[in-house]
Amino acid sequence: MKIGRRTLLSAVPSLALGSALAGASTALAAPAALSGETILKPRSGSAPRIVICGGGWGGLTSARYLKQELPDAEVVLLERNPFFWSGPLSNKWLIDVVDTGFLVHDMLRPANRYGYSVIQCDVTGIDRARKTVSTSRGAVDYDYLILSGGIRDAWDAWFGDDRATADYTRAHYGSAYIPQGEMLGLKDRILNFKGGTLVMTLPPPPHRCPPSPYERACLAAWHFKTNNIPAKIVILDPKPQVAPIGAGYRAAFAELYPDIITHVPNARVKEVDPYNKRIMTEAGDFDFDEAIFMPPHQASDMVFYADLIGTDAEGKPTGWADMHPRLFHANGDDSVYIVGDSMGAISPHFGHYPKSGHVANYIAKIVARNIGQRVRGQEVVAELPDNLCYMLVNGEPREAISVEFLYEVGADDLVHQTQIDIDVRTPDLLEEDFAWINGMFDDFVRV
Amino acid sequence: MTSFVFDLRRRDLLAGGAALAGLVAAGVPTAAQAQATTAMPQLDTAEADRLAAAFTGGAEVLAEGLALDLPALGDNPAAVPVRVHVTEPITEASWCEEMIVIADLNPQPFACRFRFTAETGSADVAVRVRLIQTMPIRAYARMNDGRVLAARHDITVAAGGCGL
Amino acid sequence: MARPPRIWISNETPSLGEIVRVRAQMVHVMESGFRIDAAGQTIPEDILTGFTASLGDAVLLEWSPETAISQNPYIEFTFAARQPGTLRMVWTDAGGVVAEAEKEIAVG
Repeated sequence: MKIGRRTLLSAVPSLALGSALAGASTALAAPAALSGETILKPRSGSAPRIVICGGGWGGLTSARYLKQELPDAEVVLLERNPFFWSGPLSNKWLIDVVDTGFLVHDMLRPANRYGYSVIQCDVTGIDRARKTVSTSRGAVDYDYLILSGGIRDAWDAWFGDDRATADYTRAHYGSAYIPQGEMLGLKDRILNFKGGTLVMTLPPPPHRCPPSPYERACLAAWHFKTNNIPAKIVILDPKPQVAPIGAGYRAAFAELYPDIITHVPNARVKEVDPYNKRIMTEAGDFDFDEAIFMPPHQASDMVFYADLIGTDAEGKPTGWADMHPRLFHANGDDSVYIVGDSMGAISPHFGHYPKSGHVANYIAKIVARNIGQRVRGQEVVAELPDNLCYMLVNGEPREAISVEFLYEVGADDLVHQTQIDIDVRTPDLLEEDFAWINGMFDDFVRV
Repeated sequence: MTSFVFDLRRRDLLAGGAALAGLVAAGVPTAAQAQATTAMPQLDTAEADRLAAAFTGGAEVLAEGLALDLPALGDNPAAVPVRVHVTEPITEASWCEEMIVIADLNPQPFACRFRFTAETGSADVAVRVRLIQTMPIRAYARMNDGRVLAARHDITVAAGGCGL
Repeated sequence: MARPPRIWISNETPSLGEIVRVRAQMVHVMESGFRIDAAGQTIPEDILTGFTASLGDAVLLEWSPETAISQNPYIEFTFAARQPGTLRMVWTDAGGVVAEAEKEIAVG
């Protein structure tokens, strides 16, 4: 029917348009009222509805694989951005190893291909008792909810209630670890830096994409080195040493950028004065000309809206989702799943799964299968992810290092982690990186 | 608790056949469990001392001339970087024949052996070791004139810590 | 073992006598022999037992790993570039040769 109509439209446009308008005149009338309480998507039929909040690696993967598991289900993906921008490989984009078109993808084409719907809106509230998500465009109810919103930058951890200073810092020195908004500005700041001291902070673990701040330092240093820009990069790291892939990074810092990169361990941030360009840490105070600030990371705002932030043994909020470590649903509410970086701790042996695109993609598939099993009345099979990261440390020749994480369940019934650092920097690891990301994009976003 | 256990094949299972590798949800009997191990740390340094004595062969052990570099904290107990190098000049007349690394309290404390020749022109190696717990690490080197050099370093190992 | 060894060399065209640094890492399970499988059976030891680096006819390094060596063994070493030739590295386990790699070293 669609094809017939399209043929008609292209053949005799004015006629077809006229008849369509005549037949649909009531539908085109303005709605009586539109508010945040408007029902965004009325339910029709009895198929289960699964609402996914967040259209990143985890959300887009969830949507595709839920439609594969449950072809009859209504899968609705809510995303605030108009298009997808990959965090993975964005460091390489900063120095033009890949162009913008490589990272940015349309979400409607995969939605149309796989049969889910995408609505561009902000999630503004989650009422789990009523199984309803409020958005900037109205409310939508769910049978299953997937929270895949990534992270929030916890500027409040640095600036408390001083929203003006937090906003100033984000606007001037944001890290773009939440893609889109700050990305172009960050690239501009690096490529147009005229010299002086560039200070970078790392958040305390756990944080998004653990090895990537060091990669960013290497690539910015490579840009400064090859363009003879008299710049120094100071990495303020709260950890006692570079990790993961510490040996590979230390070798890169010392051998490729000895006059540019300084890594300062145990530099937990105490105070930031963005106006006077000064940062105070437990390892000393630093003046800067330019900065890339990563405040502590937490679960995305929507996890807070859903009242699903966990607490530690002392009753303090963890900042991450309170969830089952093997089944990925919220503790106390198995209709809500958490996928990707917002996830809480998995095991006392290692804490969190690495907050990476690879893990989000993997968990999304597991959760899609688990929801499929539940809807079909089958036994739910718990599965484990793995993780893989490739980090470019040299611009010419283009050499990368990598880290792999493997998981298994131990005799103690807890998840154990094996970390494999590949510290030898080689060009073929970058080739593997491209093979990996192309496979990933083809899996969930590129059609 | 220990990370002294590895299995690449299991990973292939995980990637390939999710249902096979996956364990049934909590409360339901699980199909398979990995990480059961008989690895036990040494109770003391007796075995390490015996290995050291076998290497030195009664020669006087010099506490100078050999550097053993370890991180302050072994954040990944599955791969703790260890570098050993002779700090005196290596020449065609004076060179290192052999080095060993001992992880005192590992189930098998003898970690590895290195042999060099007169043509190497250097004595500087680095490897990764897996450590079952916090312990002393030691290295010994025998020079071609029979001198034995030694270095020793305590390392604290984080349980399952990976820096994330 | 489909993945090739990763090799990094500080300088493939060193000057005479220059100290060249080599890093090499290969994929190997390094099964310790301590583990027990689901059926309660000990998983047999399967570790890398040897690594040899040579430059032309000259042996530079023989490395004999034991169970303490990490999965996917990493070896870093240095040598003095006293002659040009093929830097050849061979990894072996109980089953024989598991990986080989060669790099030409031109001494200038």
